[in-house]
Amino acid sequence: MSIFEELQQAIIDGKAPAAKELTERGLKEGIKPHEFFPKAIIPAMDEVGRRMRDCEFFIPEVLIAARAARGATDILRPLLQGDEAVKPVGTVVIGTVKGDLHDIGKNIVAMMLESAGFRIVDLGVDVPPEKMVEAVKQHQANFVALSALLTTTMVNMKAVIEALVAAGLRDKVKVLVGGAPLTDAWAHSIGADGYGKDAPGAVELARRLVPASA
Amino acid sequence: MGTPLRDLLFEQGVEFPCGGQGRCRGCRIRVLEGKAEVNRAQRERLSPEEIEEGWRLACQCVVEGDLEIELRQWDSAILVDDTPFAFRPRQGLGVAVDLGTTTLVAQLLDLSTGKVMAVSTALNAQARYGADVMSRLHFAVLERGQHQLEILIRQQIGALIEQLLFSAGRLGAEIADIVVVGNTVMHHFFCGIAAEPLAHYPFEPVEGGLKTFRSSALGWKLAGDPLVRFLPCLGGFVGSDTLAGILAAKLLEHDDMVGLVDLGTNGEIVIGNKEGLLCASTAAGPAFEGAKISMGMRASTGAISQVTLSPPLDPLLTEEGSKASPLPLEEGTKVNPFPIEEGTNERCNHTRVFCRVIGDGTPRGLCGSGLVDAVAAGLELGVIATSGRFSKGEASWMLAPPVALTQNDIRELQLAKAAVAAGIKLLMQRKGAKELSRLYLAGAFGNYIDRASAQRIGLIDFPPERVEAAGNTALLGAKLALFSLDSEGGSYTEVRRRIEHVALNADPSFQDVFVEELAFP
Repeated sequence: MSIFEELQQAIIDGKAPAAKELTERGLKEGIKPHEFFPKAIIPAMDEVGRRMRDCEFFIPEVLIAARAARGATDILRPLLQGDEAVKPVGTVVIGTVKGDLHDIGKNIVAMMLESAGFRIVDLGVDVPPEKMVEAVKQHQANFVALSALLTTTMVNMKAVIEALVAAGLRDKVKVLVGGAPLTDAWAHSIGADGYGKDAPGAVELARRLVPASA
Repeated sequence: MGTPLRDLLFEQGVEFPCGGQGRCRGCRIRVLEGKAEVNRAQRERLSPEEIEEGWRLACQCVVEGDLEIELRQWDSAILVDDTPFAFRPRQGLGVAVDLGTTTLVAQLLDLSTGKVMAVSTALNAQARYGADVMSRLHFAVLERGQHQLEILIRQQIGALIEQLLFSAGRLGAEIADIVVVGNTVMHHFFCGIAAEPLAHYPFEPVEGGLKTFRSSALGWKLAGDPLVRFLPCLGGFVGSDTLAGILAAKLLEHDDMVGLVDLGTNGEIVIGNKEGLLCASTAAGPAFEGAKISMGMRASTGAISQVTLSPPLDPLLTEEGSKASPLPLEEGTKVNPFPIEEGTNERCNHTRVFCRVIGDGTPRGLCGSGLVDAVAAGLELGVIATSGRFSKGEASWMLAPPVALTQNDIRELQLAKAAVAAGIKLLMQRKGAKELSRLYLAGAFGNYIDRASAQRIGLIDFPPERVEAAGNTALLGAKLALFSLDSEGGSYTEVRRRIEHVALNADPSFQDVFVEELAFP
């Protein structure tokens, strides 16, 4: 098994120490930092996404796999600075909307997007629209990803979109929404650019909507 | 010629287990007012006493005029209370109401003897606007339906009280006091307090105290215009139904650490002893009530309510509720689609699962207690791994055709189980309680759930002998309140001072513990 295959397996199995060790060994053997992403981390997290979608993996398995992936990316990321070849695919400002404290789903989406090569600005939970707008400006984000788990709070997604419009930023970003009570139709009705049914769905969506210039 | 009652009731959601052939007793009704003929099929299925009391098989009745009936079918889901209790006699009649999100129960009491004179139950009429508190809040706040919900529930409880007086033969009699208990959302809807603050973080009531009304102010025409008290909330979504439960289970009188858990879409948890109590609610979701489960249903006719690996000796569950009588078990045939090799696992020497079906008819679905049992059985057989996944990657497990358990059903149960288990764990940690000497399970689901199965899946991770089904403690507590209104008028200021509400969702460790608890033991 190649070191990439081993690393993929370690991530899928959620073995963070093994993932770190394999990454370090690979670097010592002369593998370029950016090569790990397309050859190990991204395919591993895609596989995790597939298993999640097929009900093979549940929240705990996904979280430990994401933790293992993060073990590898934490080592690699500092080595990538200034390397043109590994510019992030896009920058995503992510958060759970105001009034809602649900964290887990949003974290899974953030970790999967990160493993897929996006730069993540995670604002946490109960995030007011103004804070979202500010972060978009500050980080020149091209995506805003919003999560809500309650039917009573999902309406606050609309408030974020309105705040982006008011700040003149709406055409600068793609707005992705997700969460258990949402539907595709509802997402469109509030003017979102896309609805992620689950975490792998959100990653697919983000990949599809990546602006050509980014 | 008249209209077949079956047609009328079917439209209302009443089920006919034998298909309306008069071969079972599943659709029996009690005629309260009006006339319904008894035919031969009914004489075969009903005793002369039952017929005398007005019981009929709905499928065999043809109605010629107005008829007022009571449905037997819903009873399995609604838990009343007939626990004896100590009280200081007072004069007059009293009414206790448990205003549940799903069900309503009201009892009329003779306050001089403590005797229950009449009981009436109903499904909460607000349920058409959402099954759980969050969807109802959505309707109230975002679709501006709160006033509508208020009118509905006030009218419905008013009618229940009329019905109580009628059943007791005391129509027009004066009632001394009426006590209502319910969770915070029900409190706000009934009392007409804006529910908007409950719809988002921090989910705290602005006005959760004792509310007192004259009956006439609620639109009820009752002799003597009695006072109606909605007892105070404890904080967050934890309402006076839990306060009543604390009173009924006497949690504040224990030296040892004890607990009270009410398993519903919002699971309420209380942990502590006479030194003080912590309470919290945890969003368990609707899995225990059968929603979001592929073949999930209410605990009514056709629901698999119990799953065991051998014919159970202890007839814990019967459709009669408390009256335990051995019912013939439907042998759910088959069972295990994953042949288990002998000797590979000592615990897997069973090859059959047995399913008990409410009403003994054809299985149609799975209710909460059946779901917990099925998963416990699957874990025991090795069909389900501790991660919650079917061990051989199958998509579903046939329990008793056509009812199967799917992979997604297990995931839904894991979410519900983890929310409750994490809540119990965190409250115990905060209280410094290493063990609980007793855990009371309140409510209908707590009454029907198998304690060994609840332990097996890690939902109620305590030895069954320390877990006690406490019944409808909300109703019992409301009745107790009728006898202690003189001191503080029902505000329970002293008691509430000893109960602290914990907002679990704001506890940073909650999500970690929740994730840990997703797996099965």
